Amino acid sequence: MERWALVSGLGGDLEVYEQIQRELKTKRGLDRLFVLGDLIGPKHNNDALLKRLQQPQRGDLPPECIYGWWEEQLLAERGYRGDRTAEALRINHGNDAVEALLASVDTGHMAWLASLQFGFIELDCALLHGSSADVGDELMPSSSPLILLDRLTRLDVNRLFTARSTQQFRLDLNGGAIDSHIKDLNGEHNQQQEVPKRSVIGIGSGEMFSLYAPGSDHIEFVKVGVKPVSRGLGFG
Amino acid sequence: MAHAVISCLHANLAAVEAVLADIDQQGINTITCLGDLVGYGPQPNEVVELMRQRAIPTCQGCWDEDIIDGLNACECSYPSQLAERRGHLAHQWTDAEMTAENKRFLASLPTSLRRDKLLFVHGSPNSQHEYLLPDMNAFAALERVETAGAETLFCGHTHQPYVRELRGGSIRVRVQHNDSSSSEEQDMTLPMRRIVNAGSVGEPRHGNTQATYVIHDEATNDLTIREVSYDVAKTCQAIIDAGLPEVFAWRLSHGFEYAERADDASHVCER
Ligand SMILES: [Zn+2]
Ligand SMILES: [Zn+2]
Repeated sequence: MERWALVSGLGGDLEVYEQIQRELKTKRGLDRLFVLGDLIGPKHNNDALLKRLQQPQRGDLPPECIYGWWEEQLLAERGYRGDRTAEALRINHGNDAVEALLASVDTGHMAWLASLQFGFIELDCALLHGSSADVGDELMPSSSPLILLDRLTRLDVNRLFTARSTQQFRLDLNGGAIDSHIKDLNGEHNQQQEVPKRSVIGIGSGEMFSLYAPGSDHIEFVKVGVKPVSRGLGFG
Repeated sequence: MAHAVISCLHANLAAVEAVLADIDQQGINTITCLGDLVGYGPQPNEVVELMRQRAIPTCQGCWDEDIIDGLNACECSYPSQLAERRGHLAHQWTDAEMTAENKRFLASLPTSLRRDKLLFVHGSPNSQHEYLLPDMNAFAALERVETAGAETLFCGHTHQPYVRELRGGSIRVRVQHNDSSSSEEQDMTLPMRRIVNAGSVGEPRHGNTQATYVIHDEATNDLTIREVSYDVAKTCQAIIDAGLPEVFAWRLSHGFEYAERADDASHVCER
């Protein structure tokens, strides 16, 4: 049965990545490794990890990467996003943080980073860094269900995997409905729509990552070096 | 007090004059315009000048934005490729025709206007280019109004007028965290909200040639979609005289266009 590993927020930490790769070897039946953005970050020089992601070592589960919030800042500042610059980073952390980020990634990696996609659609799942609205969108259990449902609806997927909030959680929309009354020049009519059975899953960050089996809809939250708490719930 | 909301004038002076006369006749003094003053039609300067002269609060439409910013729009600006090609011709013509001062006026328009719990936008609160169609997913529609902090959202851009009330909504969720094996359930009751599409004064596409707009009675909260006849032939002739694509005249004289449906109404403009 197909099984995916979902990782994010490595922040340039090759050591954590190697720990995750070692941990993945102990798991059975893992087919794919998705790295949902924030490969790079402000705390480390990012070159070694970026090299490893582009040139996996023997025995590594090959990573499939998308860009995250930090890559977006870097790409914007390096002129890959039209007129935009790393405004969000500059406003929140000042110009020094922008300079530090620029210095932490060799420009030789830029073409590869610029080639990364916003997200993957696999089966009925969207694998994203933030959400379908924005790479910086922080979805978490306390987010308005209306917003979560909207983010699912925009891509018409049943499962949305997100990493931006750094939290590990599974939120299932499992009931409810809404009535619409529509009046136009042809008359009036009513519509009822039910809440679709859909889920938003926070995969965690850094050494906290997730394993997902799309066939059984089974999610497992993992922390490097810690025996995982199994999650058997789901819609199956 | 009643107020009128108009949208998508599209440089059709005869239609604008007829609608303003209809509003005046009913003694309504407050008018809000949801943009698209220009594009497709033959009198962009005249229509902009009339709106300025009447000092009607106006938000910026997709056409108004594109005339100032150039056509850097993402493909969602047009509902179909055919529409896009024709749109480009109309864009070039309008761009050449408009005075610098009138362009400056379009550039100065805000993307939204707010009066208490009423929000006025051209497309959606997210973008001048997003279509809020009447059959859009009800939860997504409610999210647009709710996230914008409004109770009633007035929009245009689709050229099809409607009033949609979203009510009696609820969403139940179950949350599991990584640190416990139990899960918690929550129920959220959704508020009642409305989306009102004002249709189009100058380029109706609801299957009828009459100009449309809406009247909102704030005392009773009633919403009425108005249809107003105007001299369609006069504007059609002006379109042809101006050398604009004849299909725009055809569309005005039919009130719809076969190809003019949004290919992907849920597309989110990332511009
Ligand atoms: Zn319009
Ligand atoms: Zn428009």
